Amino acid sequence: MSGELDLATTWFLAARTMACGGEKISIAEEAAAGLFARAILGLDEESCIAAKSKEHMQSLTLIDCMSMAAKLPRGTADQVMAGVMMIAYSAASMQPLQVRWASMLASAMDMTEDRFQRCCVNARVISSMLPHEQEAVGG
Amino acid sequence: MADTTGNFDFLVKYDDRVAHLARQAEAYVHSDPDSALFKLRLMVETMARTLVDMEAPHLVDSDLTVMLRSLQRSGLLGRREADEMHAIRRDGNAAVHGYDSTTPTAMRRLVDAWRISRWYARMVKRGAKVDPPPFKPPPAPAQGAGQRAARAKAEVLEEAVEARRDRTRAALLLFGQDDDIKAMRWRLRGELRALEFVAVAAGEPIVDADFVALVMAMDLEQILEHPSWGRSSQEAKASVEQQFEAFKGAHADAEQEYLLERASLAREARSTEH
Repeated sequence: MSGELDLATTWFLAARTMACGGEKISIAEEAAAGLFARAILGLDEESCIAAKSKEHMQSLTLIDCMSMAAKLPRGTADQVMAGVMMIAYSAASMQPLQVRWASMLASAMDMTEDRFQRCCVNARVISSMLPHEQEAVGG
Repeated sequence: MADTTGNFDFLVKYDDRVAHLARQAEAYVHSDPDSALFKLRLMVETMARTLVDMEAPHLVDSDLTVMLRSLQRSGLLGRREADEMHAIRRDGNAAVHGYDSTTPTAMRRLVDAWRISRWYARMVKRGAKVDPPPFKPPPAPAQGAGQRAARAKAEVLEEAVEARRDRTRAALLLFGQDDDIKAMRWRLRGELRALEFVAVAAGEPIVDADFVALVMAMDLEQILEHPSWGRSSQEAKASVEQQFEAFKGAHADAEQEYLLERASLAREARSTEH
């Protein structure tokens, strides 16, 4: 896999897991994930689409996701973690399975508590800034 | 006004104002696509207002974007209908703001409006059996070779733009249009539960749920002025704003280019009429 596709795969798998760990997948969570990938992680359309293709995603487990997350450079890992937390903040709630997923991802990224807290605060800031994707880019 | 094909006749018994706007749009689709788009935009706004009045009456005087967002959040408006309504909003706004439109654009939005109308009829009269005959495109008046050529070019442009928008949308969705989200959710939650057992046995989690909840409850101003996180969160905010604006700007530039090209094709089509 190319570096860009690796990052897109890690991001969408981590983000989907966070969204699925909650009670109900909200429009806000759905909307925030794609914009984050394109605008903040700087992923191109091709990588985002390829990462989400059924054939590509179907064979991957959360262990694969954590293994890919562990290989991310520190700055990118922090961005991914902030994005994952942003999904919870967009929905304004966090369920126990979501706390567990964030924690396992943080462990995989070898994150300290302090680093995690910074990601968490940044996530809260970002969640207030991303509008609905249909409004941003048209239906 | 030219005779219509009766595509929206079924709508009269559910909402005659909306049906009237749809029929007007249908009648103008060949002769005046700008007016057709304007009528469709008004039609969508009327639909949204009626639905918002049922769900969240305090938002009934809001603009269309706010009403659509509210309907989506309430779960009343699905992704497909929202996409179609936003497409009509966007092209209607362009027409109102003086960008010339073409018949292929208006025709696409008319088909969108017909699909939304079936859904809308079911929404305003729950349990209603709404089964109109298939959509029939309003017949085009006789055209000269120049007009046909201009229209063919507009069709090609419209196809290309729709394909580009579809890709943009596909890239932005968290799940694919055809994904079985329920099955995917079930699988991922199952994996999470299994990992939960391992994690509990392995030791302490890094995440402090109380801290997460505290940050969730804080106002943005509190965070940005916080002695420990204030500076880094201000930097993060500035950086995200910049990145997001750059992304929106690139998209807006592409849309603007499309509107100008479309306007030029509309002028070309008009000039061949004389």
